[in-house]
Amino acid sequence: MNHSIGRRGALQLAAGAGIATLGGRKAKAADVTLSIWTGYPELVKWYEAVGAEYTKAKGTKITILSTSLREHEQKLAAAVPTGTGPDVFDVGQILGITFIEAGLIKANPAAVDAHLKGGAYRKSSVEQFTTEGKTHGLPMLFSTPAMFWNRTMFKEAGLDGPPKTFQEKMAAAKKLTKFDATGKMIRSGMSLRLSGQGSGIAEKFRFILEPAGGTLIVPNGKGKFHQGYDNEAGRNALKYYVDAVQTDKVDDPKVQHDAAAFVAGNTAMLMREAWVIGEIKEKNPTLDYGVAPIPAWGSGPHKTLLQHNGLWVNGKSKNLDAAYDFQLFLSTKEASVKLTQMSGWVAARSDVDWSPLLKDIPQYKEFVAPTQGVQFYPEPVMAAWNEIETRLADRLPNAYIDPGMLDPAKLAAFIKAAAAQTDQILKQNDLYGA
Amino acid sequence: MLFCYVALLPIVALFFYVRIIPIGFSFLLSFYKWNLISPRRPFVGWDNYLELLEDENFILALKNTTLYSFSTVLLATAIALPLAVFLSRKSRLSPFYQTIYFLPVITPMVPVAIAWKWIYDYNYGILNYGLSLVGLPSVAWLTDPSIALWALVIMGVWKVLGYNMVLFLVGIRNIPAEYLEAASIDGATDWQRFWRISFPLLRPILLYVIVTSTINAFNVFTQVYVMTLGSQSAPGQAVRMLVFDIYTNGFQFFRMGYASAEAVILTLIVLGLTVIQFSLARDDSAKGT
Repeated sequence: MNHSIGRRGALQLAAGAGIATLGGRKAKAADVTLSIWTGYPELVKWYEAVGAEYTKAKGTKITILSTSLREHEQKLAAAVPTGTGPDVFDVGQILGITFIEAGLIKANPAAVDAHLKGGAYRKSSVEQFTTEGKTHGLPMLFSTPAMFWNRTMFKEAGLDGPPKTFQEKMAAAKKLTKFDATGKMIRSGMSLRLSGQGSGIAEKFRFILEPAGGTLIVPNGKGKFHQGYDNEAGRNALKYYVDAVQTDKVDDPKVQHDAAAFVAGNTAMLMREAWVIGEIKEKNPTLDYGVAPIPAWGSGPHKTLLQHNGLWVNGKSKNLDAAYDFQLFLSTKEASVKLTQMSGWVAARSDVDWSPLLKDIPQYKEFVAPTQGVQFYPEPVMAAWNEIETRLADRLPNAYIDPGMLDPAKLAAFIKAAAAQTDQILKQNDLYGA
Repeated sequence: MLFCYVALLPIVALFFYVRIIPIGFSFLLSFYKWNLISPRRPFVGWDNYLELLEDENFILALKNTTLYSFSTVLLATAIALPLAVFLSRKSRLSPFYQTIYFLPVITPMVPVAIAWKWIYDYNYGILNYGLSLVGLPSVAWLTDPSIALWALVIMGVWKVLGYNMVLFLVGIRNIPAEYLEAASIDGATDWQRFWRISFPLLRPILLYVIVTSTINAFNVFTQVYVMTLGSQSAPGQAVRMLVFDIYTNGFQFFRMGYASAEAVILTLIVLGLTVIQFSLARDDSAKGT
């Protein structure tokens, strides 16, 4: 009897303890509030939607703070080291590596590490999120530019399809550019980044430099780097820009540029990322356009930039377990499809079935399943990268419109000086090696 | 007397905490290499200052800021003073015009800068539309590197004109009427009354206007940031200013020590100019007595 009571009692005790534990866990999860910071306002709706599902499933509350990317980076830089940052945040790898080096982002726990290495992501993505043999964070956005082209304008100009090389692109752009009676450009043949400030100018310069065979920095195989564009490729890339503005006159700093110009029908070609599709869908859904690979340089290969945006857990978070759990929840296949559908950005997971999305918007193809043979050149993961690009970007707009650049000797001198500055920045950061 | 000092203590302490300590910290930081995030902060002595002397961006920013500041202060003062004299006359429309001129002062800088970006737009801007009405060609206000800085000067003058005007107006209205009446009885012309009586009595206000305008002009940032943002904007180098350069080094490249060295130099420049302006005014008043 005693034994029987004892067993029953023990079972009741165990059940009670289990319920109490679950209840306790539930209560604990319900008490937890995870704060998420994003530098992409277009991702807020997605965070909210997935966050609501997570709250429903686990009880954990989610708060989201969104600011512009620059402000976001500044807030993170000030808040994370002082322990006042969010639990989870998204940011590019350049800032991510700075946090990793400072010990503010910890190596992934086993579950996150296994998820990253489990075949859901491309090899290049896994490599980019591995530092000194350990994985940190998860890839969230897989960002590659491609070439948008306006089908209506191409038809009007008697052009069959998108150009395959940069040389063909210039020839097509000449036919596509329009001027008014006074000679003022009213539609550019191609929209290049010609003005403003910031690293984006140099990033767009690389869209041509890399296919032409150059690169901003070259690794020396011993963990150091040196500039890689004081050469024919660098000069060719700059000459291409100068010709586009000054000789062939297919673009002009004065006309409308970038996605706004393409959406409004003020340019015929634009090299940009997938988010432009979302802009077109929202602002000019009747626009007839296609998306093709970034042209090759002559007979060279098609090359395109590969940038990752990561999803990171703050190493100083007081809710580390919940934060890692939510990080995984944001990285499911379902959440990845939703991310692309809701924001226009392409999710980093490569094992997603994109067919429903492609059936709806076929222009996504070049972004989610790039043409066979397109080579990716990744963004170097180093803290000094932003300075290297921005310093080059400071110089480029003046060069594009400077008539002196029509002189090959002056153009070569410009490239030489810019490349010397790149080496100087590498030296200052103890990263230079010939 | 002791009560006064004690009563002032909280505000002095607050001023010390939010002003003096950060300035001191910036000065200290200028001797270190620090990226804001890393716990490592090696001492580098005068290296940051020495590097600044060879930094072409810093030299360009210094040149642009000086040009911007002197142009803005000169124009905003030279236009505000006659405007204040004109509006000090009794007129039913005077308060209306004072309000109109003062409106830009109380409007936040970000929306103002965005609005001016539209005004300056080459294709759709109202300024070029106005030029086209009188048969003049369109001007690339923002994208032409030789014009972009002057576009900022125009906007800067527009923004501070009302503030300077109100200060001058207060000064003019505080000039005892009997001085001007006596001069009129003695046969002085309007110009003579202004030049011999009003202007000398307005010198303390003029000094205040010049000092505060100079400090504000050297700290120009928001409009530069907005006007260079995006693809349809001014080339960064054409309008590179000191505070913008500090911001870039500090918050984009995370070179806090280097940015602090720049901030120290900016502080010294503004401090030096203020001392010069005060000493010039003191010399003048000494001559006057």
